[in-house]
Amino acid sequence: MIFSLLVLHVAVCAVLARAGRRLGRGSLLVGAVPPACSALWGAARLGDSQPATADLTWVGGLDLAMTFRVDAFAAVMTLIVSGIGVLVLVYAFGYFGPGTAHTGRFATTLLAFSTAMLGLVWADSVWTLFVFWELTSVTSFLLVGHKSTDAAVLVAARRALMVTAGGGLVLLAGLLLVTGAAGTTLISELAPVDGAGAGATAGAVLVMIAAATKSAQVPFHAWLPGAMVAPTPVSAYLHAATMVKAGVVLVAVAGPALSGIVAWRGCGIAFGVASVVWGALGALRHRDAKLILAWGTVSQLGMLITLFSVGTPAAVLAAVALLVAHALFKGALFLIVGEIDVRAGTRHIDELGGLARSMPVAFAAAVLAGLSMAGAPPLFGFVAKETAIGAALGLEGPEAWIVGFGVIGGSVLTVAYTVRFLVAVFGPGPETPLSARRPALSAPPAVLAAAGVAAFAVLGPLDSVLAPAAVRLSGGAAVGHLHRWPGLEPALAVSAAVLVVGAIVGLAMGGRPGQAPADRAARWTDASIDGAVAVGRATVARVQHGSLPVYLVTMAAVATLAATPFLAGISLDHIVAWDRPLQGVLAVTVVGAAVALCWVGTRLGAGLALGATGIAVASVFVVHGAADLALTQLLVEAAIVVGFVLAFGHLSRSFPMTGLRWRAVRMAVAGLGGAAVVVGLGAASGNPVAAPPLAELAAASVDEGGGSNVVNVILTDIRGLDTLGEVLVLATVALGVQALARPSASRGSPTP
Amino acid sequence: MIRLGIRAASPFAAVVGCYLLFAGHNNPGGGFAAGLVFGAVLALRTVAGFHQPTYGVALVAAGVLVVAGVAVMPLLWGGPLFDQQVLSVEAPLLGKVKAGSALPFDIGVAAIVVGTVIAALDGLGASEFAAGPPARSDGGERE
Repeated sequence: MIFSLLVLHVAVCAVLARAGRRLGRGSLLVGAVPPACSALWGAARLGDSQPATADLTWVGGLDLAMTFRVDAFAAVMTLIVSGIGVLVLVYAFGYFGPGTAHTGRFATTLLAFSTAMLGLVWADSVWTLFVFWELTSVTSFLLVGHKSTDAAVLVAARRALMVTAGGGLVLLAGLLLVTGAAGTTLISELAPVDGAGAGATAGAVLVMIAAATKSAQVPFHAWLPGAMVAPTPVSAYLHAATMVKAGVVLVAVAGPALSGIVAWRGCGIAFGVASVVWGALGALRHRDAKLILAWGTVSQLGMLITLFSVGTPAAVLAAVALLVAHALFKGALFLIVGEIDVRAGTRHIDELGGLARSMPVAFAAAVLAGLSMAGAPPLFGFVAKETAIGAALGLEGPEAWIVGFGVIGGSVLTVAYTVRFLVAVFGPGPETPLSARRPALSAPPAVLAAAGVAAFAVLGPLDSVLAPAAVRLSGGAAVGHLHRWPGLEPALAVSAAVLVVGAIVGLAMGGRPGQAPADRAARWTDASIDGAVAVGRATVARVQHGSLPVYLVTMAAVATLAATPFLAGISLDHIVAWDRPLQGVLAVTVVGAAVALCWVGTRLGAGLALGATGIAVASVFVVHGAADLALTQLLVEAAIVVGFVLAFGHLSRSFPMTGLRWRAVRMAVAGLGGAAVVVGLGAASGNPVAAPPLAELAAASVDEGGGSNVVNVILTDIRGLDTLGEVLVLATVALGVQALARPSASRGSPTP
Repeated sequence: MIRLGIRAASPFAAVVGCYLLFAGHNNPGGGFAAGLVFGAVLALRTVAGFHQPTYGVALVAAGVLVVAGVAVMPLLWGGPLFDQQVLSVEAPLLGKVKAGSALPFDIGVAAIVVGTVIAALDGLGASEFAAGPPARSDGGERE
């Protein structure tokens, strides 16, 4: 089923890529079909305690496989990713008016992203997860840069790509270290890793940094507010509900294995608490409704990272609840702001007024979603916030203070920016003129906001779905339950105080005029990207200088250095002068031709001498009975001759004169390179680690490969993957030659 | 005279190439060697002015698709990558004919080699050898 769903997604993607232009806006609705199927399947799996698995091993010997596993947590994530995906695609149908250009492309990319995100939450092998992680980065880049004619959009898209893809590289390094320490690449088999090893600690920190880049944690957060230049469906889907949750999901699923490592918890809590506070402050200062929500997302993601990093059962349960609640309320609020943007033509809070009266449905939905975000009863956000505060109060030691500060202080600020948002956007003021109502725009946010109320109402069944997910993420420990009304506990008092203080701050900030802060973090991020690109350019200019002799000398020198350790292992006992005297004659011929090659001054002479070495080497193969090698070698020599004939037309008759010192260097390196090969071969043949597998290969050749020429069966079957790699290199060379030839062909002036 | 020789020899060389391609599984030969023979034939004919090197990259792409297809195909029925499938048929006149999935693999390899040779010929400016003046005068007058 897992593969069928993925194939369905990809197939519809392919169809939309071909037919998107003709279908236009309709492709958004076609694109909603696969997520709808996935969402239904995810919903059906919610109560199922037995995880669904699927795997496709493609190179068993290298442990390379696509492995998926949909457990209780993945089922919840499936419902979020695909359910909100359907709503967003329907919403996009209303967002892009009739006749908007490139809606087919948009639908294709959004569906591709949805597929990648599903793969990410379903992945069990860390490498499967990694591949889909990178795919979400790429599709996110395409979606942020959808309006590709705007320079500001391109800058923001580049920033998002560089930060998240850079984080992907960090993730790769981290996963290598962590899987090395844990001894498995399957997430479901990750046992708690001992924190003593330096490798495990470094790996855990790298994984946490990668999660922080993806989930826009301070100081990597600048790309997320920047990405608000994307169309609103993208902001609601990627940058509120799903993609930014990828980092959170990573921290969540790796939590049971890594939470024993002090650096993992410390790093996560540091990123999380800093983001909770800084994001909320940003949300309080910005004046663009969409940016307010984006900064609020940074803050909420910080809260999730904090709770998952703490990793106590209560904190994990709170985090799972908050994850779901956030997807519902933040998705709804983004969609509402998008509707305002489309209908009022602006989303700047100074220019909006009277919307409570003119957009009643949106207002009601915004109030419900906003109150859920603030954590007020009777909404699902209240349950999540209550559980989080309870979890924070239940901690001990220095962690308790920091996490308590983050959760409670963050909650106060969240209430404050929520109140400010609602007052500023919907509050009194000169009435903003609106364009006509579009049902496709108002329905999806209303559904999401209503889901927040419904979730509170049916908390019992919901708890029976979310608690198993939390159990999975806390390594099997009992996590307790979500409560609609926790009773008169310290957490309730704190919660009430939070609401009162936050509301006062929010109301005080709400109507205040002011300036949006300058975005320094974005400037720094862009400056560091520019710096990295400049360093890259300078390095390439120095290393890829284009001088063929220097490349060859460098390669030979490195190979020589690499051969020096073998000097110790060389033994002379098994080396015989020759098996047959003819070999000696041929060896002398090879050496003589090589020496002659170095002495002749004309290119034609050098070509002849090179051919002589080649043919003499081929003769050595013949004497040894290696007919395949000899045949191939001779054919290659023939091809080289033709190449020379063609190339000589473009070159001078003699080699250019070179300085004496440079000549000496080249001679020395060439001589040492040759010596290195002799040393390497001597050491290798003198120290066999196993008997030559000749007999087994010959037997396997006939039985498995179905052929009696062992050399070719090795090439096409036994070591087929190597051959595939080699011919791909050849294909790349052909492309390179073609690319090099093109500019000269277009210049079009043959050498006289 | 040389052109005549090349013209006369090329069909035989092509046959040799085909032989190497099909014989490779049990005797010396194989996709790489066959590709080199075909490539040499094409190179000689190009130098002699019978051909202009074209479609090199297309041939490479086709070869890569075939090779990758052979590699991935067994996954469809749950086998490991590169699992060898051998088909044995009693054909009239030829006797027992055996063909494994190594054959398409070798054909793909040969296509890549030939494509690379063509691309290299193109890159080295072999079009100058082509019979007829268009390529040359065209480029010269544009400057």
